[in-house]
Amino acid sequence: MSLLVADALTVSTTLEGARVPVLRDLSFALAPGKVLGLVGESGAGKSMVGRTVAQLLPPGFAVSSGSLAFAGADLVTMPGETRRALLGREIAFIPQEPLSALNPVLTIGAQFGEHLARIGAPASARRESMLAAFEAVHLQGGADLLGRYPHQLSGGMCQRVLIAFAFASHPKLVIADEPTTALDVTIQARIVRLIAEMQERQETAVLFITHDLRLAAQVCDDILVLYAGRAVEYGPARKVFAAPAHPYTRCLQLANPAMHTRRALYALPERMPGLRAYAAITGCAFASRCPNVIEECRAAPPPVSAVAPGHRAACIRSALTGEIVPATEPAAEPTAAHAPILGVENLTRRFTSGGLFRRSDFAAVKNVSFTLRENEFVGIVGESGSGKSTLARLVVGLEAPTEGRITIAGRAAGEPGFDAHRREHVQMVFQDPQSALNPRRRVASIVTQPLEAAGHLGWEARLARAGLLLGEIGLPADAALRFPSQLSGGQRQRVNIARALCAVPRILIADEIVSGLDVSVQAQLLRLLAALRRERHFAMLFISHDLSVVRYLCDRVLVMYRGEVVESGETEQVFAAPAHEYTRTLLAAVPPDDPAEVWEGLRAV
Amino acid sequence: MSAWPAWLRSARVLTGLAVVLAIALIALFAPLLAPHDPNEQNLISTFLPPAWLQGGDAAFPLGTDSLGRCTLSRLIYGARVAMTVAVVASLGAMIIGAVLAHIAGYFGGAIDWLIGRTVDVWMSFPPVILSLILMVGLGTGLRNVILAIVLVDWTRFCRVLRSEVLVVTRRDYVAAARLVGFSHWRTITREILPATLPLLITLISLEMGIAVIVEAILSFVGMSVGATTPAWGQMIADARQYIYDAPWNLAFPILAIFVTVLGFNVLGDGLRRTLDVRLTETQRA
Repeated sequence: MSLLVADALTVSTTLEGARVPVLRDLSFALAPGKVLGLVGESGAGKSMVGRTVAQLLPPGFAVSSGSLAFAGADLVTMPGETRRALLGREIAFIPQEPLSALNPVLTIGAQFGEHLARIGAPASARRESMLAAFEAVHLQGGADLLGRYPHQLSGGMCQRVLIAFAFASHPKLVIADEPTTALDVTIQARIVRLIAEMQERQETAVLFITHDLRLAAQVCDDILVLYAGRAVEYGPARKVFAAPAHPYTRCLQLANPAMHTRRALYALPERMPGLRAYAAITGCAFASRCPNVIEECRAAPPPVSAVAPGHRAACIRSALTGEIVPATEPAAEPTAAHAPILGVENLTRRFTSGGLFRRSDFAAVKNVSFTLRENEFVGIVGESGSGKSTLARLVVGLEAPTEGRITIAGRAAGEPGFDAHRREHVQMVFQDPQSALNPRRRVASIVTQPLEAAGHLGWEARLARAGLLLGEIGLPADAALRFPSQLSGGQRQRVNIARALCAVPRILIADEIVSGLDVSVQAQLLRLLAALRRERHFAMLFISHDLSVVRYLCDRVLVMYRGEVVESGETEQVFAAPAHEYTRTLLAAVPPDDPAEVWEGLRAV
Repeated sequence: MSAWPAWLRSARVLTGLAVVLAIALIALFAPLLAPHDPNEQNLISTFLPPAWLQGGDAAFPLGTDSLGRCTLSRLIYGARVAMTVAVVASLGAMIIGAVLAHIAGYFGGAIDWLIGRTVDVWMSFPPVILSLILMVGLGTGLRNVILAIVLVDWTRFCRVLRSEVLVVTRRDYVAAARLVGFSHWRTITREILPATLPLLITLISLEMGIAVIVEAILSFVGMSVGATTPAWGQMIADARQYIYDAPWNLAFPILAIFVTVLGFNVLGDGLRRTLDVRLTETQRA
């Protein structure tokens, strides 16, 4: 007897006068006490499933056919009152952004009390149940916590509070919508562990929505892979991960850099069709990007067929899926013998805050030293607040160091003409392309900004140069005259990289440039960076919180913790035999490549 | 998609623009439109009511004042003072305010502190008293009225724009422009100004309405242009003494001010709605 059953569920909206199915013929069953993972990239419709369960669809969206039953009752046709009685009691939510899910002007206690009152807990027992709930989610200082406001807690603590909220009513079903995406890596594993623990203790069913296939394989019993609103693969998590039957699942898996070995990434071309393109899809939605595509795929939607007991996939050539391999990539030249191009010695940056009388001193970067050789890629890893970004801004000159020395290509900071010298050698790629690209400039004008600064080229010449740059970073030539708002996130990030390359720098500083992008887009960019490195021979400081990405791209790695470099060395070595406790914590926080392996991060709470 | 930019398709903008342009044209062609010389006195026919009322004279469509001057002609000529002050004074206030705001917001630190405190101190003077004092010191005349309004109202631009500049300056594309070698001047004019321009345009159209009112206040108390130049505030002041005998003489200039200010405000509001990125972005989301 299943708790949540979707049968040919279709959710549609009206776009330009036509009905467009946002979710199409979705069927799955979630048994009590089990975890179902909904996996897919942004735009696949993962969150829409959660919203359909809660009947919180955006205006204009509605279930157009099929059914969605919770404990035998149809959620779609159920009267609003009955459904509202279910939500919060029987069906609970864990949101993506813990901070914005809590009311900033009410204390945790007030909000929890309100929630308990709603689910019908007697007033006299509320305080007790709150403290017990905090205990259950391993929050220290329960009584003290009740009087706190959300902004006084860290993101991880807020998420724990929300998990306590969700499980307070002993719900039958919990919907967790990317519960760890907004949190630091080291906290992610603990939150996942906590959800698993609560789920086991209360025998709750969990609908776990995530973009991370590796994470889903670790925590879920079953996985449903979504692509453009359609289920492409459904089956037991470990089986799906070990032998994906649908090419999309396989490509997603290969797009994710491995932690243990360095292998080539599979970069799916282009991106998932948007809602507007749905109407034009006649056959398989994945056909336009599929490496195994044949004419038949485009003719009719592929039927869902069983590839093994309980393991289904919507692909007519699923037998060939296992043969998909990424295109080989030439290995980067060894750089150990190259001359140093950037030297940083005892760099410190202190920030003072507060007024005249109560000054507080805070060192964002403490005594950091390292060298970067020609054509070498060095990764800087650490969680938010570790000083990675400040270090980047110090190197490019957006911040001035409090102490220490920076040497670039033989000249030290402070020498006359150093700023111009630095500009010639160092360029930066910013994290958020939304903020890094002037929305009022066209792409051609953005990527040739360095020429504008020099001020001696006409628009024609700039346009020609932009064409060359766009070709190099893999954007179509007609993108030159578009505005950033007309590009996708991945394309914007390419423009961001092209601008930095226009000045022909010797050193690139990249601050979290692939975070927030979908896995397939991330793989495209990583391969692009690796290719540019071979062609242009620049060196790069690559800042990231994602260890697997650093593992793929960088020769050496620096681990930063609270402004200090706690460990550094060859990437292989650091990853294989971490010396510092913090490095071990970071490494343990990443789910292992093979779901059969024990995930260390899950054990330590 | 239409060839017209979004701001030209808004009903508010079009209404406001129509009113403002009409008044500007009237002011521009005043000598052709006015039936009489605005200062020509006709002591035989004083306090004539508008032409359509009993005792009205078709030669004076809106009647005459206590000295027998044509009300319509004075209103038409009064638009010249109002529009000149509105345009020149708000442009002047905008230039001072915007330049200081961009400097303060972009460079920050001690410069920002200094400009911010100056604005604070400046704004703590009551604006009407400040402009009256300035007029006493400067003497009457169109140029001095404009100067007084500029000196009082630049703070409004400075304060509102500064916070906008601050937001834009923190965008990564401004840092990126600096990194590729843009000078401060180029960064401000090419990267920041285009982003603050919509707010600037909106503020200007609102400031024009305010300038019309301030000028009317000053001329009401006789501290604006000289007695020989007709101005709406002056007309109100003149008519005030005969409010029971000739109420229409009071009503027409008030109506003129009302329509003009309303035109500027509707225009400003329309521009704000169509140009303000934050508003249009939330609509899209």
